[in-house]
Amino acid sequence: MHITEGFLPPLHAAAWTVIALPFVVMSARRVHRLMHDQPQTKLLLAASGAFAFLLSALKLPSVTGSCSHATGTGLGAILFGPSVMALLGTLVLLFQTLLLAHGGITTLGANVFSMAIVGPWTAYAVLRGVQQLRAPLALSVFLAAMLGDWATYLTTAGQLALAFPDPASGIIGAFLKFAGVFAPTQLPLAVIEGLLTVVIVNFLREYSSDELQSLKFLPQTLATEIRS
Amino acid sequence: MKTQNIGLLLLVAVLVVGSLLIGSRQEGAEFAGADGQAMETVAVLNPDYEPWFGFIWEPSPEIASGLFALQAALGAGVLGYYFGFRRGQARRRNRPDAGD
Repeated sequence: MHITEGFLPPLHAAAWTVIALPFVVMSARRVHRLMHDQPQTKLLLAASGAFAFLLSALKLPSVTGSCSHATGTGLGAILFGPSVMALLGTLVLLFQTLLLAHGGITTLGANVFSMAIVGPWTAYAVLRGVQQLRAPLALSVFLAAMLGDWATYLTTAGQLALAFPDPASGIIGAFLKFAGVFAPTQLPLAVIEGLLTVVIVNFLREYSSDELQSLKFLPQTLATEIRS
Repeated sequence: MKTQNIGLLLLVAVLVVGSLLIGSRQEGAEFAGADGQAMETVAVLNPDYEPWFGFIWEPSPEIASGLFALQAALGAGVLGYYFGFRRGQARRRNRPDAGD
């Protein structure tokens, strides 16, 4: 999902930066308030960021004969609400841009939008939706993280399609081409991301149940299941 | 919890190895990055497009692999510290008389 440096026309690069910026500012404020109101969750927040750091560094082989990576942004969104991930995801992307030449400064806004905004918000919406159906916790977490991962890559495909419409079939045709690169590759990887997020949540239920209950962003139903 | 997690991690291993095996059978499978393939698609859709901004700094492949490992190590380190810390806390809570 990393759009490479310079691979979005200036206007698009600027527009995505302008769109992403308020989310990141709001996220920084939210993290700041969280640290102030619930300093005991600092370590869990760091662990959620670390999960994204770890997963986005691991390039895994896929069934398509190409390689890609998970995003790890679903976990933090599930625990703290989606808004905190905009800041944490931006830090991950900045590290990769500045040190690894992976992503880019000009494309940072677009990459933040897909990985640190759309992914976490999708994960959170799916979690809330599936919880409404009274699904077991593990299943909701799995679906949330998996679909969040997939949404990130489809967003990237959409961003590229808007910038580079197909001469014959337009934006939709280009979207199908870019999605054709990302979606099949990401299929097993999104499942892996979902499974690993469930593993982490299982650990949290075992060792950090009191901490989980203190997170008011965790949906109520989820909190009740953890208590029992 | 333990059994479920072991099962889940085994499933992850099966998915990774399975993807590798199925992927190797694809024609021209080199396990290149999907990001790079998307940028090639850009060149197909718009052959005239020239990236207008380059990397400020680009590490050699060897340095880059080290930095990727550093990124993963930092992530895994913090995650491991967190769970080690919480596990110790939970243990002490559950057995107050066996404490120090």
